[in-house]
Amino acid sequence: MTSSSGAARKNLSKIACNRLQKELVEWQVNPPTGFKHKVTDNLQRWVVEVTGASGTLYANETYQLQVDFPENYPMEAPQVIFLHPAPLHPHIYSNGHICLDILYDSWSPAMTVSSIGISILSMLSSSTTKQRPEDNDRYVKNCRNGRSPKETRWWFHDDKV
Amino acid sequence: MQSKEASVEDGEIGPVTGAGSEMDEWTNFGDDDIMQQQYTIQAEEAKKVPFVGDKEALSSLAAEYKSGSPILLEKIKLLDEKYAAIRRARGDGNCFFRSFMFSYLEHIMESQDQAEIDRVKANVEKSRKALQTLGYADLTFEDFFALFLEQLECLIQGKETSISHEELVLRSRDQSISDYVVMFFRFVTSAEIQNRTEFFEPFILGLSNTTVEQFCKSSVEPMGEESDHVHITALSDALGIPIRVVYLDCSSCDTGGVSINHHDFMPVAGDLPDASCSSEKNIPFITLLYRPGHYNILYPK
Repeated sequence: MTSSSGAARKNLSKIACNRLQKELVEWQVNPPTGFKHKVTDNLQRWVVEVTGASGTLYANETYQLQVDFPENYPMEAPQVIFLHPAPLHPHIYSNGHICLDILYDSWSPAMTVSSIGISILSMLSSSTTKQRPEDNDRYVKNCRNGRSPKETRWWFHDDKV
Repeated sequence: MQSKEASVEDGEIGPVTGAGSEMDEWTNFGDDDIMQQQYTIQAEEAKKVPFVGDKEALSSLAAEYKSGSPILLEKIKLLDEKYAAIRRARGDGNCFFRSFMFSYLEHIMESQDQAEIDRVKANVEKSRKALQTLGYADLTFEDFFALFLEQLECLIQGKETSISHEELVLRSRDQSISDYVVMFFRFVTSAEIQNRTEFFEPFILGLSNTTVEQFCKSSVEPMGEESDHVHITALSDALGIPIRVVYLDCSSCDTGGVSINHHDFMPVAGDLPDASCSSEKNIPFITLLYRPGHYNILYPK
């Protein structure tokens, strides 16, 4: 169980449902470059395939993102993690958790699944080294109980990568 | 860039309890505990103050400062001469927008001013166009716009959808409505700032060392981000609604006298609601009380 966050498991509100359906249609008409949505009948959990951009360290590598929506989406951010195996990146933990401000404190309803995807791909593309965050082992160990990344207090002191 | 547990293990944060002596349990406890504490504080704040409180006599303000600074007490006495009541907004970072929301909707309900509704709706449509021009996808903001317009329409009495004052208070406390209206104002504010980049840039550079766009993304659009002069100016201009902010702080004049300062945010000329540019002589119908870090609604006598 990678997403045992209690808050994320309540059913979507009507307004959240409408918004997600619109996002889904928009995604199908105009998917962000490098992404594929693996369509299921579960509106509340999207699994999205991302392929590293050519000319970057992750060229031709494919990873899967799991996006879980809280009942009051988009007022609250979705929970976004990489499914195993997560890309080797200084801001991505081996359990798939991603250190990216827009997924937590800086989320706003002006963002979409699509814009999250673009930010994550850009984070991958600008990486100059394939390695785990310095505190990877300690952090991952502390998440053994299935904690959601949304329950972590993140520092975002490096916005260059 | 890393998770905050690093500092927990360094011993900067995190209480120790009897349970578990292993290092990882200790650090685990620290982070979860702090998050839990934050939730608890939020929940307690929610119990104490709803998004929008009841109207209270101004004396409730003095009661807060019983043993406080003499300057503040003196100022509260002055406030008491001009203002009858206060209505508190929850201190969740949205208090400016929330106070503005309630104060404006209540004003419309009391004045039954259809012309003002029509005027503000025209400005709402300008904001919609501005967001589209700025490249915002309709699906990101349209629900918020629709919900605000719906609230406006309910205020005029004698219709099937009309609501009572009591219902207005309830809606302001209902997260699924109240937060959507707050977010609507955040969109309008952001659009106005980005549409007049040259005007707002110097103020924004004074607050944070970011671009105008980045400021809007990080300090206007996310819920819970506190408001500054920049936000108030932009919202007042965008909707064409004057706002008076009365300041209650410990500052005093050099001459030794104590006085209450206020600032009127007047929208760029030519677009004022009738009430404020004709008979009432430019006195905003929205009055907010600002104490460092927090806004509430004030009711003039």
